[in-house]
Amino acid sequence: MNLSHHRTVARLYFWLSLGSVLLGVLLSLVMRFHLVYPSTSVKLFQFLWPTRAQGGVMTPELYLSLLTLHGTVMVFFVLTLAPVNAFGNLMLPRQLGATHMAFPRLNLLSFWVSLASFFLLVGSVLTEDGGPLSGWTAYPPLSALGAITGPGEGLGQTLWFFSIAVFCIGALLSSINVIATVIDVRSPDMPLMQMPLAAWNWFITAILSLLSFPVLLAAGLLILLDRLAGTSFFIPTGLLIADYKSPHTGGSPLLWQHLFWFFGHPEVYIAILPGMGIVSTVLSAFSGRRIFGRRAMIFATMSIALLGLLVWGHHMFTSGLNPWSAIAFSVLTMAIGVPSAVKTFNWLATLWLARGNLRLTTPMLFALGFVSIFVTGGLSGLFLGQPNLDAYFHDTYFVVAHFHIIMGVAALFGIFAGTFYWFPLLFGKMLNETLGKVHFYLTFILSYATFLPMHFAGFAGNPRRYADFTSFDFLAPIIPLQKGITHAAFALAAVQVIFLFNLVWTLWRGSAAPENPWGTNPDNGEAY
Amino acid sequence: MPSLTQSNIGGTPPIDPELPFGGRGDGDSGRGSPNDGSTRAASMTAMVVVMCASVMTFGALLSAMVIRRGLSHDWHKLPLPKILWYNTVALILSSILLDLARRMLRKNKRRYFNPLWTAGTVFGTLFLVGQFVAWEQLAVGGFYLAGNPSSAFFYVMTWAHAAHVVGALLAVYYVEFLALKYELGTRGRTWVSASTLFWHFLDLMWLGILALFVFWA
Repeated sequence: MNLSHHRTVARLYFWLSLGSVLLGVLLSLVMRFHLVYPSTSVKLFQFLWPTRAQGGVMTPELYLSLLTLHGTVMVFFVLTLAPVNAFGNLMLPRQLGATHMAFPRLNLLSFWVSLASFFLLVGSVLTEDGGPLSGWTAYPPLSALGAITGPGEGLGQTLWFFSIAVFCIGALLSSINVIATVIDVRSPDMPLMQMPLAAWNWFITAILSLLSFPVLLAAGLLILLDRLAGTSFFIPTGLLIADYKSPHTGGSPLLWQHLFWFFGHPEVYIAILPGMGIVSTVLSAFSGRRIFGRRAMIFATMSIALLGLLVWGHHMFTSGLNPWSAIAFSVLTMAIGVPSAVKTFNWLATLWLARGNLRLTTPMLFALGFVSIFVTGGLSGLFLGQPNLDAYFHDTYFVVAHFHIIMGVAALFGIFAGTFYWFPLLFGKMLNETLGKVHFYLTFILSYATFLPMHFAGFAGNPRRYADFTSFDFLAPIIPLQKGITHAAFALAAVQVIFLFNLVWTLWRGSAAPENPWGTNPDNGEAY
Repeated sequence: MPSLTQSNIGGTPPIDPELPFGGRGDGDSGRGSPNDGSTRAASMTAMVVVMCASVMTFGALLSAMVIRRGLSHDWHKLPLPKILWYNTVALILSSILLDLARRMLRKNKRRYFNPLWTAGTVFGTLFLVGQFVAWEQLAVGGFYLAGNPSSAFFYVMTWAHAAHVVGALLAVYYVEFLALKYELGTRGRTWVSASTLFWHFLDLMWLGILALFVFWA
């Protein structure tokens, strides 16, 4: 078996992402349960974490460690790996008229590096003290000081940083491959502007990875030195924690935020741009026509990527940013709405022009769902992009709602669209359409049921990152809403069993897919 | 070869049977290598991409240094060991020698390649050894990683540069190995071009770091 074949590498990434998403979803269910029933004893919790969930009730530290693992697994191993590395590896050579990626062995190596990073991450939660508590953003100084700041902040947090540093290397190796493949392995007869939109999105995503992951790598190395070698890059003078006075002097926690978000904001586009490419491909295929304003779509993708590199400061409006800087970051953030709207209207125009010819297959439904969710999530971004509004919303569930919709659900809908559409290429079989449609409709409704009410919790000032907010009087009216969110989240997770059943059943018993499984017309710009 | 038309955009373009690996082929042989499919052009592109990643890494470190220095009053100028200047000469000499070797190979003056490349390799190795001596001298002088932020950034930047040098040296040694066995084929020549290009980049990166600590830090 040729492990370095691009389709095999795509499958390896697909399985890694699938395993990661299952882990991430299970963690979110445990957290959602704890949020609304914080004092209910659960035997499973005690079985899983005997010391940190004594009597079946989890400690706030355990909640925070689950939060950290959930965010890290979802952002890095699901939203970063699946859209580019799984589907990009599968389709890029095919779409470019090639039979391979530029560096097949390097491609496989980047997978092994990513897998090593995953094991380091899992190792970080299996330490004696438990997993790190600092969230996926790992803000110093608490993340830089070591075990004194809490259980899991010792070896667990160190392993977490190593995991992220190794992940950065894997992402860079992967982006080298995608960029070199597009530039040099592309068919000589294919000018860049005629490249398929999905390929364009993978290409630009790889450039974003190339420009942003090295910054996270540098920041990760500096913070590891703060933790392990006694340097003071991010730790300020005179920090007192419990009875411990930190010997570090002169460092700046804000410096980490600048470096982290210089990576962190492009990361949002690393997650969502490939989904946009997949959606363009699928909408084109099942509307039987080329995407309206194809050239504009390419320039919109470029604009989103360029602006995405310049707006990291909008994550720091409440961190003490200079107000003039905040205005600049705010204006640039709002500007992203323009190319995003260009994309959305072009998709809608494509659908409008093809009305009557639309075929509502499962991948098409997920692509349409993506457009809906992308618009919803984008609109709440307009609120958060304004410093005065963000001052209120920043630490509330409004932000949780925003990024779960735009970065999580939208990107996952893109992944689902790609999975259903390209499953015959991935595994040679067709997923069941009826099960797929049931899965889509329930997922679509329950995604909104889970994440839309979080906006209202945010309006009410419900703080995020808290392990327990049931004891606050001012939040008492919100608790029924939060319980509703938890129930919707459990239902949403339960619905995914339909997809898993479809996947397993198809792989086990499914018959081979026909040559043109979706019956698309290869001469009409919609080829499979 | 069937041409790509507007009508089949977004689909699967035809594959040119004359280019079995679908790409533009190797610059030397006109074909991709059957071993791993990589081509000379792709290798050079990858090298440029790697350099971009390195620029971003050092850019992040540089911006961290600017902010860290501006935010506090504990910054002291670091006395640079004199050996750094000798190291600089060794690095530049190695770069010149490796490039001369590459040019000789391109002009088919194969017999000049081995001595020039070997000399370049030796000077490159000397640079790395000299860096270890410089770190040792700094430590003896009481300038540690965990000391003043100026020494912390010096160690971080020079270590990061040295890590790049180690990677490049492995490539240079590999070429040396091939050259000494007279097995410098098409792929070997791609390694020569790519590693020389990266070695020049390491020169520029080093000169930048040195200038930073001489004139500003």
